[in-house]
Amino acid sequence: MTGRLKLTAQVLALACVAGLLALLVWKLTHQEHAPRVGTVAPGFTLRRLVGPGQVSLESYRGRPVVLNFWASWCNPCKSEAAVLERDWTRYRDRGVVFLGVDYHDLAPDARSFVRHHELTFPMLQDGSGRVTGSYGISQVPETYVLSRQGRVVAHLAGPITDAGFAADFRSALAKAAA
Amino acid sequence: MIVRFLVVFVAALALAAPAAACAHPRTSLAYLEGQVMCPTCHTTLDQSNSAAAQQIERFISQKIAACWTSRRIESALVANYGPAILAAPPHKGFDLLAWWLPIAGVLAGALVLAVGVWRWSRRRGPEPEEPADSGLDEETERRLDDLLARFD
Repeated sequence: MTGRLKLTAQVLALACVAGLLALLVWKLTHQEHAPRVGTVAPGFTLRRLVGPGQVSLESYRGRPVVLNFWASWCNPCKSEAAVLERDWTRYRDRGVVFLGVDYHDLAPDARSFVRHHELTFPMLQDGSGRVTGSYGISQVPETYVLSRQGRVVAHLAGPITDAGFAADFRSALAKAAA
Repeated sequence: MIVRFLVVFVAALALAAPAAACAHPRTSLAYLEGQVMCPTCHTTLDQSNSAAAQQIERFISQKIAACWTSRRIESALVANYGPAILAAPPHKGFDLLAWWLPIAGVLAGALVLAVGVWRWSRRRGPEPEEPADSGLDEETERRLDDLLARFD
């Protein structure tokens, strides 16, 4: 009887250790990383920030996409907004799509931001951060330029107004739109 | 006299108005700061000074001033950010596991410990008693004492 009890306790302890180990392995293998240049960008469907309806990234397949992650509480996003709007009006006739993804933000504040900066490209809401997580976003602003095939052409982890990023953004945009 | 009474009455009314504006006791920012997470830094609001946390604190303050209950404020935040914005999981559905599993774990550990202690104490049994008598006769015992005394 004592031996059986001891064996049961040992099996239970081993099961606990195995469970914890499995959790650790699952966590390590499911960590989200930023998609690398050349890989296909993660797909998503998000609701519009302004107006009804949803937008899916897949619906823009065949067109280059600029995916900009921002938030109304982010100061660099304010200076970047005007540049993005200007580039959007410049490139939209060449088939380039600009999508803004609002990150961990209160929707009313985000809508005020859009109105204040007179942004006209589609804005999507990712309140829970699910999509931004799949893009490995840890700070805003960040911008991805995607090719017509949905592959990452460039990833700019910072404001595109920065001297270091501005040239990269223009060249990626030109490359994607070509 | 009547004018003075009217002035005091109006002043009292003005002071009492904000308190009476809410039909229920107001919740506090300090309470909700411990219940709501900062979405970018993954700590509660009271431990964060990030821009995202400050935005949520402003929202909470506005809603407290508008007499919203803590439950209503939390619901609005969940609608915007999802359930992960709350520091504690809800008391329903699958999330109940998060509440009951730790308690079950502690109880199971206590049970295992109690059974182990009980079994160990039974196995040991009573201490063997010292023999009262050495079994030697008096003469031998005296000679043995003498011999041992020589080694002291």
